[in-house]
Amino acid sequence: MRVLVVEDEVRLANNIAEALRERCGFAVDCAENGADGAALTEFQHYDLLLLDLMLPGLDGLGIVRQVRRRKDMTPILILTARDERSQVVELLNAGADDYLTKPFDLGELLARAKALIRRGKGASHPVLTAGRISVNTVEQTVRCAGQLIDLSPTEYRLFEYLIFRPRAIVSARELLEHLYDYNWQHHSNVIEAHISNLRKKLRSVGEETSIATIRGRGYRLEAPEKQL
Amino acid sequence: MRETSLSRQLIAGVLLAELICAALFSAVAIGHEMHGRRRAFDVMLRGRADSLLGAVQDAEDPEDNVTVDPTELVLPLQDVYEVVSPSGRVLGQTSAASAALLAALSSSHSPGYFDFKVKGAYYRAVRFDGVRIVDREEKGGYRRPVTVLYGSPTRDLWHEAVEAVRFYVLSGALLLAITGVALVWFLRRRLSPLQELAIIAGRVSTRCWEFVPTGSVLRTAELAPIALSIEELLKGLRQSFERQRQLTGDASHELKTSIAVLKSSLQLLAMSPRTTEQYEYGLESLLMDTERMEGLANRMLTLARLEEAPMEQGETSELQSAVRIVAERLLPLAELKQVRLDVSGEESGKVAMQADDAEVLCSNLIMNALQHSPPQGCVTITVDSRDAVTELRIVDRGEGIPEVALPHVFDRFYRADRSRSRNSGGAGLGLSICKAIVDRSNGTVRIQSTVGIGTQVTVTLPQSKTA
Repeated sequence: MRVLVVEDEVRLANNIAEALRERCGFAVDCAENGADGAALTEFQHYDLLLLDLMLPGLDGLGIVRQVRRRKDMTPILILTARDERSQVVELLNAGADDYLTKPFDLGELLARAKALIRRGKGASHPVLTAGRISVNTVEQTVRCAGQLIDLSPTEYRLFEYLIFRPRAIVSARELLEHLYDYNWQHHSNVIEAHISNLRKKLRSVGEETSIATIRGRGYRLEAPEKQL
Repeated sequence: MRETSLSRQLIAGVLLAELICAALFSAVAIGHEMHGRRRAFDVMLRGRADSLLGAVQDAEDPEDNVTVDPTELVLPLQDVYEVVSPSGRVLGQTSAASAALLAALSSSHSPGYFDFKVKGAYYRAVRFDGVRIVDREEKGGYRRPVTVLYGSPTRDLWHEAVEAVRFYVLSGALLLAITGVALVWFLRRRLSPLQELAIIAGRVSTRCWEFVPTGSVLRTAELAPIALSIEELLKGLRQSFERQRQLTGDASHELKTSIAVLKSSLQLLAMSPRTTEQYEYGLESLLMDTERMEGLANRMLTLARLEEAPMEQGETSELQSAVRIVAERLLPLAELKQVRLDVSGEESGKVAMQADDAEVLCSNLIMNALQHSPPQGCVTITVDSRDAVTELRIVDRGEGIPEVALPHVFDRFYRADRSRSRNSGGAGLGLSICKAIVDRSNGTVRIQSTVGIGTQVTVTLPQSKTA
């Protein structure tokens, strides 16, 4: 998952980014002002936008309006130091999904971020299943019929992204865009290597659910339909 | 305090005036009426007495006397009369009258009208001397002088007078009631713009600033200026109220963001076990964050102190020495940024400013100039004294301030380019502090700036007279 943090207080942005990377395994980009933030949202690489309300240039509300005008459904969490009712109402009405007032609890921020991403992808429970496989997005673990599969952080992130969209073709480019931040050099063969490792680990526990390669288009998580 | 109503007072006043008017009118009318009735009564008395005189005739007796024959006269029963000859002999009198009544009637000895009272009843009577010619057919008649006394009770007169008074009072009261109602209605109607104004003004609060005077208020010559000045006043109040709210919001944003940085840093550090180096780095960052927050709190408190506390009397300082101290202190930073600090100017007079404030003023202004100067740039600082005025000029050749931002540079928490200034540690309070310091010394501060050429800050301070 990839998150954009737009916050002019650099130290705060770094803390949030660090926590999201460390605890949730998300890729995080930071923007220091509204204009840069709005420009980054246009790529639609993000699974969550975390916006400060008071920003130099374009404010959080302005970004929310821009994003929603494009029919971009990316979940938006607003950080605000002002908890005036009217402003909160205006924000939510403009299309923001949730808000947190500063100073917030970092744990709560992470939980809300995960919940919003989950909801944005159509899942309400933090445990996702496909066939005999279940992914616990809170613990960041993957189990096959109760048996823990030992995955590397990148493998977990890949699998988590795929299980949110079972049977859909996900291109290597999309995976790159949603799993790595801008500091990463984009090489699609990295994805290929991780997918191959994932397949091996799934097979080792005897799971028939597999990740198919669709030539020239991407990858697909094959799962028995009735069990989804 | 008791509440008084203008319209109620007006109505009461006009009604009172009407009442007094009606009472006076009634009194005059009653007086006039009474006078008329008394005269009519007197005329009536005289008429009856005259007809009594007409009833004097020859008595057909040997002494050739006269007598009164009342048989042909129709006189009211309660009236009383007496006809006396010059010798004092009673020629005739009311037969039914009591002795006391007759005695009272005959007590008068001069001709004319008089009043008397018998057994609680009031009477008015007339006495006159008349001549009656009897037996006109024989020898041309005899002249018989007689004195006629005729009295009548005044009870009827008073009764009629009371009736008349009652009529006047009742019709007066009726008129008063009718005009009173009409007046109340009219005054209410005429005074309605006043009430409308009061209602509109009463609705205004810090939550609802709506004040739109109605057309009837604006058409009233006395009310229009009041309504317009209230409108103007409210506009100003609303602006300053909103500025204040904006200010509180900005201050809380700065403080909460600072706290959010500290809190998130601590929570991040505690989230999972770290190496010693990571802890050390985290603590160092936290210390820096805390220092920044301390700086912010200090600046906010400085500003609050400058704006709240009155200036201590007799505090003076020399601007020139403050500039030198600050320039020396900022020299390392200037060298780091490769900017030349050019300080010039002679010994200036003393200005009414605390030495600490003078240093804060110079430091903030020179620091701003330094931060916005390009490398190899130059900041010129001049102190001039003339005509009891000290002028401090700080000129840089930096990027300048956009024209739209110029009117706001002294606003608290205002940053022309916020992302940049935040990284340089400012919260947009420096120039506000400068303005507060200069204002306290009754000076002025001006900023002229052209984008791409540079900025000039001019501080003008009156020299202290006590120095």
